[in-house]
Amino acid sequence: MGRYIARRLLLTIPVLIGASFLIFALVYALPGDPIRALGGERPLSPAVVAQLREEFNLDDPLVVQYAKYVGDLLQGDLGTDFRGREVSETITQRLPVTLRLTVVAIAIETVIGIIAGVLAGIRRNGFLDNLVLVSSTLIVSVPILVLAFVAQFVLGLQFGWFPIAGINEGWLSYVLPGLVLASGSLAYVARLTRTSIAENLRADYVRTARAKGLPNRTVIGRHTLRNSLIPVVTFIGADIGTLMGGAIVTETVFNLPGIGRAVFDSVQAQEGAVVVGIVTLMVFFFIFFNLVVDVLYAVLDPRIRYD
Amino acid sequence: MTRPDPTTSVLTGSAGTPVLEVDDLHVEFRTRSGVVNAVNGISYSLAEGQTLAILGESGSGKSVSAQAIMGILDSPPAVITGGGILFEGRDLLTQSPEEQRKVRGPGISMIFQDALSSLNPVYSVGYQIGEMFRAHRGTSKRDAKKHAVELMDRVRIPGAASRVDDFPHQFSGGMRQRVMIAMAIALDPRVLIADEPTTALDVTVQAQVMDLLKDLQRDTGMGLVLITHDLGVVNEVADDVAVMYAGRIVERGTVDDVFGNPAHPYTEGLMNSVPQVEAKGGRLQPIVGQPPNLAAIPSGCPFHPRCARRRLGADAAPGRECATDVPPLRLVVPGREAACHYSEEVLGV
Repeated sequence: MGRYIARRLLLTIPVLIGASFLIFALVYALPGDPIRALGGERPLSPAVVAQLREEFNLDDPLVVQYAKYVGDLLQGDLGTDFRGREVSETITQRLPVTLRLTVVAIAIETVIGIIAGVLAGIRRNGFLDNLVLVSSTLIVSVPILVLAFVAQFVLGLQFGWFPIAGINEGWLSYVLPGLVLASGSLAYVARLTRTSIAENLRADYVRTARAKGLPNRTVIGRHTLRNSLIPVVTFIGADIGTLMGGAIVTETVFNLPGIGRAVFDSVQAQEGAVVVGIVTLMVFFFIFFNLVVDVLYAVLDPRIRYD
Repeated sequence: MTRPDPTTSVLTGSAGTPVLEVDDLHVEFRTRSGVVNAVNGISYSLAEGQTLAILGESGSGKSVSAQAIMGILDSPPAVITGGGILFEGRDLLTQSPEEQRKVRGPGISMIFQDALSSLNPVYSVGYQIGEMFRAHRGTSKRDAKKHAVELMDRVRIPGAASRVDDFPHQFSGGMRQRVMIAMAIALDPRVLIADEPTTALDVTVQAQVMDLLKDLQRDTGMGLVLITHDLGVVNEVADDVAVMYAGRIVERGTVDDVFGNPAHPYTEGLMNSVPQVEAKGGRLQPIVGQPPNLAAIPSGCPFHPRCARRRLGADAAPGRECATDVPPLRLVVPGREAACHYSEEVLGV
């Protein structure tokens, strides 16, 4: 197992190099001149422009720019944005916001999704099953922006339970954005769990468990749930990466200063160093959580061995 | 409701008090495309230490009736529509689900055909065997494991102590079936139902597993219901045999009697369709036609469309027309019951 994990971690290096180069190239290919845009209405003097272009290697060919960037990176320097702010500082400041948002979203989709799925799955075509079916279809088909405004209006303003924007009230501030961010995946987790439970309830080993005279909660909780969670865990693991990407919209609507917002702003300003730094970090998280899922597989299903 | 009186039972093996009595059991499956009549009024009784083989082809209702006894039918769609299942004199069907659950394991227990899919892949065999003690007797985790090792020894799994933490996929087919057996006999049940226990196994392993079951039965005195379509297995281990067709018992008696001289054309057909050493070189005679569709069981005798001895219309004796009159299961000669209008002819008496 240890060797497997080490090998998988080593494999992330070429992936990260490839991903960062791709992102670098995409930012390079963006139309427009980022330096000229810096000045806004008042054009910068040609001397300043030339100096900045020189400082950020903007006149070098793509490959040379990238090589210089990686060279700095290896010395632990993520570079600066055009205003001289360290990218590493931006990340350390903004990452905790996005991580908190992701944690809340994952917690909501896991807990509510699995409970709803189990209840629907053990009584197929019952009231709860239909309720889960209807509400999950509704959630999936409504655009996330609409969902966000409805949540802000109803739960935030009408009931006044949760703050509707900003991060001034600690974890409570993350409940609404977390709920909105999780909604699509929540519906999916519920449906996936429901199908998986319903399928496993017909498995031979569940029939055996009943024939053994085990109490119903043991038959469901031990002999059905664990086997049914394998596909659900896969989805949730892969979803952590997706949620961090999806945070771009949610962070904008709820005015959360996370890395999603930072990426959005930086792409618009063509801040290559910031975009590459943050997106490469997201890629790393994505790979890392997929590795965690693969390790969890072996824990959930002893037939899987990585040797 | 009439209950079979154990003292007048035709089954010579059931001299002792019956532990399990099945009385006019009916099971149907209510599906969207109609009602499937899987079990249509079967009755039998099983005494301590007795082995009753239930013989029949796929779809004859033998497994469904066993699952009904265990209380593990998938319902819906399966519904028990009538009859009784008496364990030690008490009707399980009138008991609460919780009381029924407590019988499964210590009272009646069951082993299945495919041990690989019937064992949970994500728990060790020791855990799954030990679960019997933990669920029914509240035994501690550690003691349950100790019991599991003892049981694995008892079903002759080599190196039990070192294999108790292994998972089902790490065992061979025969060893897996032994694990199933260990689990089923863990709480010394009075009745063991074995549903095709050797069908998925190699012939040599089959014999070992059947020997093991017989030895365990001798030690514990449990009653054994052996569900199978394998005539050889029935011949070797069973005392009595009940032959099922289309959800009914069509013939029963001692194995020697029934196999020696069948009283029902279907049993006769089964005997002729398996190779026999004495008849080497002769041709096998399969039973013509298909097993009946349980959603549309033929009128009269359900076997009549496939029966070589059927008598229709003017050929039939009054009230014994094969396509219209349902033959009841009746005493044909002492110790033998059959559901055929012309059993005496089949027997040649």
